[in-house]
Amino acid sequence: MALLQISEPGQSQAPHQRRLAVGIDLGTTNSLVASVISGSASVLKDANDQWSIPSVVHYSDKHASVIGNAAQEKAADDPFNTIRSAKRLMGKGADDVRESWLAEHYQFNYDGGSIPAFKTAAGEKTAIDVSAAILSELRLTAEQTLGGDLVGAVITVPAYFDDAQRQATKDAAALSGIHVLRLLNEPTAAAVAYGLDSGTDGVVAIYDLGGGTFDISLLKMQRGVFEVLATAGNTALGGDDFDNAVADWIQAQAGVSQLPDQGARRQLLRLARSVKETLSSAMLAPYELKLNADITFKGELSVQQFNDIIEPMFKKTLAPCRQVIRDAGIAKTDVQAVVMVGGSTRVPLVRERVSQFFDQTVLTDIDPDQVVAIGAAIQADVLAGNKPDSELLLLDVIPLSLGLETMGGLVEKIIPRNTTIPIARAQEFTTYKDGQTAMALHVVQGERELVSDCRSLANFELRDIPARTAGACRIQVLFQVDADGLLMVSALEKESGVLASIDVKPSYGLSDGEIEQMLKASIEHASEDVRKRALAEQKVEGSRVIEAIGSALAADGDQHLTADERSDVDALIENLKQSLEQDSSDAIKQAIEKLEAGSSAFVERRMNASVKQLMAGQELEELERSLVSADDLSDS
Amino acid sequence: MQVDFSNNYFELFELPVQYVVSQDHLDTRFRSLQRYLHPDKFASASDAERRWSMQAASFVNEAYQALSKPLSRASYLLSLHGISLDEETDTQMSPMFLMEQMELREALGDAPDAADPYAALDKISAQLNNGRRDSESAFTSAANNADWTEARTVVRQWQFLEKLNSEVQAQEARLDDAL
Amino acid sequence: MAITMTERAAEHVRSYIEKRGKGIGLRLAVRTTGCSGMAYVLEFADEVAANDAVFEQHDIKVVVDQKSLAYLDGTELDFAKEGLNEGFQFNNPNVKDECGCGESFNI
Repeated sequence: MALLQISEPGQSQAPHQRRLAVGIDLGTTNSLVASVISGSASVLKDANDQWSIPSVVHYSDKHASVIGNAAQEKAADDPFNTIRSAKRLMGKGADDVRESWLAEHYQFNYDGGSIPAFKTAAGEKTAIDVSAAILSELRLTAEQTLGGDLVGAVITVPAYFDDAQRQATKDAAALSGIHVLRLLNEPTAAAVAYGLDSGTDGVVAIYDLGGGTFDISLLKMQRGVFEVLATAGNTALGGDDFDNAVADWIQAQAGVSQLPDQGARRQLLRLARSVKETLSSAMLAPYELKLNADITFKGELSVQQFNDIIEPMFKKTLAPCRQVIRDAGIAKTDVQAVVMVGGSTRVPLVRERVSQFFDQTVLTDIDPDQVVAIGAAIQADVLAGNKPDSELLLLDVIPLSLGLETMGGLVEKIIPRNTTIPIARAQEFTTYKDGQTAMALHVVQGERELVSDCRSLANFELRDIPARTAGACRIQVLFQVDADGLLMVSALEKESGVLASIDVKPSYGLSDGEIEQMLKASIEHASEDVRKRALAEQKVEGSRVIEAIGSALAADGDQHLTADERSDVDALIENLKQSLEQDSSDAIKQAIEKLEAGSSAFVERRMNASVKQLMAGQELEELERSLVSADDLSDS
Repeated sequence: MQVDFSNNYFELFELPVQYVVSQDHLDTRFRSLQRYLHPDKFASASDAERRWSMQAASFVNEAYQALSKPLSRASYLLSLHGISLDEETDTQMSPMFLMEQMELREALGDAPDAADPYAALDKISAQLNNGRRDSESAFTSAANNADWTEARTVVRQWQFLEKLNSEVQAQEARLDDAL
Repeated sequence: MAITMTERAAEHVRSYIEKRGKGIGLRLAVRTTGCSGMAYVLEFADEVAANDAVFEQHDIKVVVDQKSLAYLDGTELDFAKEGLNEGFQFNNPNVKDECGCGESFNI
């Protein structure tokens, strides 16, 4: 029997219609899931009473894997099959892997596909597979805790993640059966968690120092709207570097020039981390570690010494701080609040010095390890439609400039960094040879002028351009970045108005075809239960679409559609209704797609009609009432 | 699907078509438009509505950006009057202006070696800011007199100033990195 | 006519209202819907309407409209935990049968 939660006044859902949504912080070291329960956001504990799980997956044989703490325990005995820190490889290529420390710890297949894969007892696993396994575990915890299926999740990513890394995260969610409501930047999530929208109007800074990365973002807040002004960071700077430096210091104190093996280094690092943690609340940390008969580390480290050790690394975080202030075109004194995120902000020196830099006391009320998941949960609750009167609106920016390769390996910027998303920019190209029917575009991301210094995103090949004399065809290419920060490219031949077909080859990711293959495979291997569930979900979705389009048709269908068009849409609705009677989720999916395609002209016309009213200066609130979105309709 | 936004940016933001705008009004209107159009408001809607909302929100973002930044607002006004900025044929610029630019560029090149590089950069920034202010008032009066040839000349000089300003910022970033 | 609440339920309501930052108490109601006829409504209460009945227990106000009260009389609101799932539960003596989900019922 389901247990009830308290709703906002007037927002009780009918039975079985509660829209359960969660926020997920998919971290490099640990992952968390949070949700809004009875009006307040909190992190959900798993069956072991833990509110975070290590981002670790252990593969034992073909179909078995364990996730989290259970996987962590296998690390010592079965290191090659125990995958951690997969987030570092999201959206990365073979060269990135070869350069990273992960190359020494795991066995990789670099040539199997477009992205490298870990070789495990269960076969080859990409970082996307590993992340999908972690997400599945979090979904399980959430569904058990909330007592139902999720409608979707907000998944957080570092603000600095490029297109390939974001796409990989979204692909992992698709594989784990999670509908992504939004990919949300971690600092934005943190600002939401602090509820800075209520009361604070002004600029806030989010200082996020995690285990391996540093991020700083400036957000402007006005009446519930969070607008990211600028973001910068360092993807190779974090608490791990503090540990390494302390370990080096301890080793030097003991006069040990060479450690016997990797295992010894790991023990020393663990010692260094506990020394660091002690110094968060004590002035002095004594330590002792007997490594073997010859080597013993024994001594003490004072806060002052520790501060001297980490000072050079801390200083590296200040350049990005200055950078965002410059990019946002504001003065340091305009910053009204500073939020601390990430475990490494527990270090007192970091808090002190960041307070000094911004000349104010930094905010540390919410656990820096939980704050991102909590903010994501609040946003998920809003996006799922559980808080229709919420003022919350998050306007993110693209963190790195998007550009095109031009002659001589130079980059021409199309969309500069810190542009508010979604955004679209069009560029016109002409053919340069007689009879040319194809054209290639190479899209990169980064700030540098040479293609070789930027991150390659994808190669787009435009085909089926009508064969004409050189220069006769003008092709307009549209670069569209969506609210998740993901790029889509479309091309139109201007004279004929024909859409050119585009072949996308992601540099460090999976093509749509590959993702589809993986999804199919996962469903084939899935148990009967999972298949039944997929069918049930598809039926709910089908009914929702019928209701949404049906109510819209009832409202103003005849106004926007001719009799012929109307009967076409009606036939498609009937077709979907019939497919709901059968037990094939594929058939329902196809019927939904047909109906959505067949009714898109109608949707477009009524939306545009409402925008015309908007332009005519009609009150926005009134308009919101008259234009009922599908979401509202499904609840009525 | 194309969004039917035939209005120009000023109309979208309910502003008269002129250079001087109220930033407060721009901000407020931007927020109310996005509150209504942003894809997050259509998170559970149909694919068609979501696509529409993404295109509409993109358009609003583009318009907001064009109107918020002084130089891009001036350029946009020129384009509304059918004046293009990037014709390569006329490279004529006032010799006085070019001379000043060369001096500023030299100062920028020398700045990293100055006793106080930040102060040296600040000095250049201050000069650039004066130049931008002058450009703004020159553009306003040219536009008021509907002298679009003059307005175009002002904007072309203004572009030089902005370009140099971004180089000053890049230099500052390099100094920060070396700290 | 009365509606009661266990101390455990009251504690949770108190903490939820505190976190929410506003609200005078809890509104209980029934409405006709769902798989077996009636469904429970559990919401934060921001105001009391003219013909609402108000019960107070463990310092928490429970607001019920007159129509719903007929179906809820004698109900005890409890807070329960089943595995990872936690939440409120209506122990309603008027109920003849319930839908398996416990969210809707028949009298």
